[in-house]
Amino acid sequence: MINKLFEVSMTRSLPLVSLPFRALPIPLTSGRSSGSLGSLGFLILLVAVFSGTLTLSTSVTAAEDKVVINPPAEGSVSQQEGLQAWARIFEVASHPRCANCHTGESDRPMWSGPSYGKTRVHGMNVQAGTSRIGAETLLCGTCHTTKSEDWDNANATPHAAPRVAMNWALAPVEAHWFGQTSEQICAQLRNPETNGDRTMREIAEHLNHDLILHWAWAPGGGREPAPYSLQEHVNDILAWGVAGTPCPQD
Amino acid sequence: MQIDVNGKAFEVEVEPEMPLLWVLRDELGITGPKYGCGIAQCGACTVHVDGFVVRSCQLAVRDLGNRKVTTIEGLGSPEALHAVQAAWIEHQVAQCGYCQSGQIMQAASFLKTNPNPSDEQIDAVMSSNLCRCGTYPRIRSAVKAAAKKLQEG
Repeated sequence: MINKLFEVSMTRSLPLVSLPFRALPIPLTSGRSSGSLGSLGFLILLVAVFSGTLTLSTSVTAAEDKVVINPPAEGSVSQQEGLQAWARIFEVASHPRCANCHTGESDRPMWSGPSYGKTRVHGMNVQAGTSRIGAETLLCGTCHTTKSEDWDNANATPHAAPRVAMNWALAPVEAHWFGQTSEQICAQLRNPETNGDRTMREIAEHLNHDLILHWAWAPGGGREPAPYSLQEHVNDILAWGVAGTPCPQD
Repeated sequence: MQIDVNGKAFEVEVEPEMPLLWVLRDELGITGPKYGCGIAQCGACTVHVDGFVVRSCQLAVRDLGNRKVTTIEGLGSPEALHAVQAAWIEHQVAQCGYCQSGQIMQAASFLKTNPNPSDEQIDAVMSSNLCRCGTYPRIRSAVKAAAKKLQEG
């Protein structure tokens, strides 16, 4: 049974394991490959499993859909228009609201952007570990507690740990965006081996359902939101896909 | 709403967004958890929720659900101290003492998930609880002593 748990895909259709334990972040993705959480993550997961507090689910969240997913007709987006869409996508992916938790091999989230002053590693010696949720040391959810979906102003306080109606975690290792170039992120995002084996429509749906991603456009606390809007970003992803996912290096 | 703290059920009438720390201290008179920063930066308010550490200043009571809260008052008793509490006394960790409730709760939870931590692992976890007196060397010693005691049973 335990082995089964860890065979859960860490990159594709089950990016998250939902926990009724609202303040406990989910073991999600190991990022790199096997899905191993390490002994500590293992232990925490075991405790949760055997105490009956953990359920595996293919549903990422019960949140209502926030955006319309309506891809342009095939062949209706030129490569040039696709590249323009990519340029806007890169603005979002490289923005601190997104990139700070897309740190690749590093298990240290970053603090950067206009609301943080000097770029620096996340305080408190935070180490997300191979579990990407801090299971080996300190769970992200210790501070980034999980809030109710209908509590809209939960992040109003400046400098407080942001909260969403989902368990907080670092992005998978493969999705390395912090400090990466447009070409590097473009190559990663269009490659099924490094994007969770997703089509562009599936990436748009991922954006629709992952509430941490929604937070990027409504961060609160004086933080600068990601550029454009969630709907515009989804539209760009879909248009980029229809254009054949062109990258600047092509 | 009803909340379970240290094995007792309490009925509280509070705003649902009230942080758990406020409920504990101001409504229930459980003052072991301390108010430090109010924004999850210091760890003085650390409690256990179903055994996992949570900064109680960051958890709205509406989001607690039916999970059980343990504060320093419920970790051990004067007659039967938790191993971490005993180690804290043995190593005379506290200086001013304000952060120590959070430190002890953090350490107690940590040792459940990692019964034999290295110095680096202790530092990785305990440095998220700020101590302006700088008691970290004694914290590390006490955590190691508590780990040994817990392993010996």
